[in-house]
Amino acid sequence: MNDKNRKYWRILRTVAIVLCILVFTPLIIPEGVYKPELLGIPYSLWTSFLITVALVVITYLGTRVHRSNEEEEVEP
Amino acid sequence: MKTWILILGIIYVGLLVTASLRSYKKGRSVEDFMLAGSNIGIILGVLTYAAALFSTFTFLGMPDFFRRHGIGAWIFLAVSDGAMVFFILWFGYHIRNKVKQLGFRGVAGMISNCYGNRWAGYTIFLTAFLFLIPYVGIQIQGIAIFMGAAFPNFIPSWGWAVSIVVVMLIYSEIGGLKAIVYSDAIQGVLLLTVLWIIGYNCLSEFGGIAAMFDKIEVDHVALLSTPGPEGLFTPQFFIASMIAIVMIPVTQPQLTTRLVVMKSMKSMHLMAVAVGAFAILVITPTIFIGMYGASFLKDSLDGMSVAQQAGSFFEEVFLYRQPGFVAALALVGLIAAGLSTTNAQIFALGSELRGLLNMDENKVMRITKIGIFIFAVIALAFSEVIKDQIALLARVSFAGTALMGPMILLGILSDRKVPTFIIWASFAGLMIFLLSLGGVIANRVIGVRLDLFLFLCLSLVAILSYLLGKKELQLAR
Repeated sequence: MNDKNRKYWRILRTVAIVLCILVFTPLIIPEGVYKPELLGIPYSLWTSFLITVALVVITYLGTRVHRSNEEEEVEP
Repeated sequence: MKTWILILGIIYVGLLVTASLRSYKKGRSVEDFMLAGSNIGIILGVLTYAAALFSTFTFLGMPDFFRRHGIGAWIFLAVSDGAMVFFILWFGYHIRNKVKQLGFRGVAGMISNCYGNRWAGYTIFLTAFLFLIPYVGIQIQGIAIFMGAAFPNFIPSWGWAVSIVVVMLIYSEIGGLKAIVYSDAIQGVLLLTVLWIIGYNCLSEFGGIAAMFDKIEVDHVALLSTPGPEGLFTPQFFIASMIAIVMIPVTQPQLTTRLVVMKSMKSMHLMAVAVGAFAILVITPTIFIGMYGASFLKDSLDGMSVAQQAGSFFEEVFLYRQPGFVAALALVGLIAAGLSTTNAQIFALGSELRGLLNMDENKVMRITKIGIFIFAVIALAFSEVIKDQIALLARVSFAGTALMGPMILLGILSDRKVPTFIIWASFAGLMIFLLSLGGVIANRVIGVRLDLFLFLCLSLVAILSYLLGKKELQLAR
């Protein structure tokens, strides 16, 4: 992995971890609260849906910078 | 409906037979039989991984989870799956490299080699056995119950269970892992199709997504937020569940194997992305089905036990309230889901057993096949005695096997010889978790869920082991 890709991978990793942590906070799961709704969807559902989509997108971006091109190379 | 079941059932069996025969190779090696030649491409890879991951648990468990506990079920599974697929990028790279160095004869065998200690393998095998067998058992039972509902008074429920296990054993014996991968592919497509047809039908009854949640607001408002009506979805529950689910590729051997047998690193990476997209697609319709049950079946399910509610809910939504063709497709989809997951898990146990055997390959193959047969029989016996909620049992299965995560990760990632204390700590963690499941000890420690607490303790032990390993090397120098 070159330096640029290594940097992007670190950023993606940090974003993924931050998104996962956010899910456990009242920002995403306020107790007993279901508003504001988006297109009629309760708050925790639409926010967590967006986070799931973001995680999949980040995974895709990860495939672009992680070591998939270094076919099975063993790093020391 | 029965005619449709017969037609679709014959098509499904035909596809299974074709898959088995296509996978059968005369004079095949043990590697071909157990690891499908380690040459699975992206499309088959996505479908087999997704089928092994989702299956009956998604089919039966998730709609019921949404019905009972509300929208937090999305975070429990979908967000955790999103985290898991990202984790696969990193873990998949490391495990495939380790496999390149050490070869792959199951996770238990590989970790034994990493530690140079057979007890590491025995502990992993024991954990897989203890947590996969009941989960397999409840899936067999689920299928048997619904076959009984579709064909009342035809044969007793145990007769269906035996039939399912026999079919599973025959086609895995003929085709090995490759046949299982093909059957997973069939199941993956069926699962997605059936859930969306039924999900769409349920949503249509409400008149749209906004109308659905408006009605739920009136009928059962607690379902629209966390922690849900029964208070299940606490932050701790989500954290512990996410750890357990992220650890699935590490600790559930049927899924680890699927990362290893992918044709290349690149196809494994793309497979991870596609599994994430599949997760969103497959879990979304279970919201509509669950909400339908919470609203339209509210009165008819009242007064029943939890297990009766789950059974009755499924029968109503998937069988009785659908057109004959859709109900038949649902039933065949359920059979396919149960068969492929059951098969994947039983076969993985066989693969783990193989990794612990050290003898002539022909003998190993024979013993592995006998092992697969014995595991299937034990799962069959369990299917007659276990009565539980499938989603929660699946979660216990994930949490139980996740306890081995720190030991497995340390074995795979460590480039130095580490003390074997982590093996005994993992074994002790397993015993403590089992004692809590049996109600012998409390399931919380200073207010923290026991599974989360044990995982954190074992992670700490793994870090300490790693640091001590470094010290040992320095002393040796």
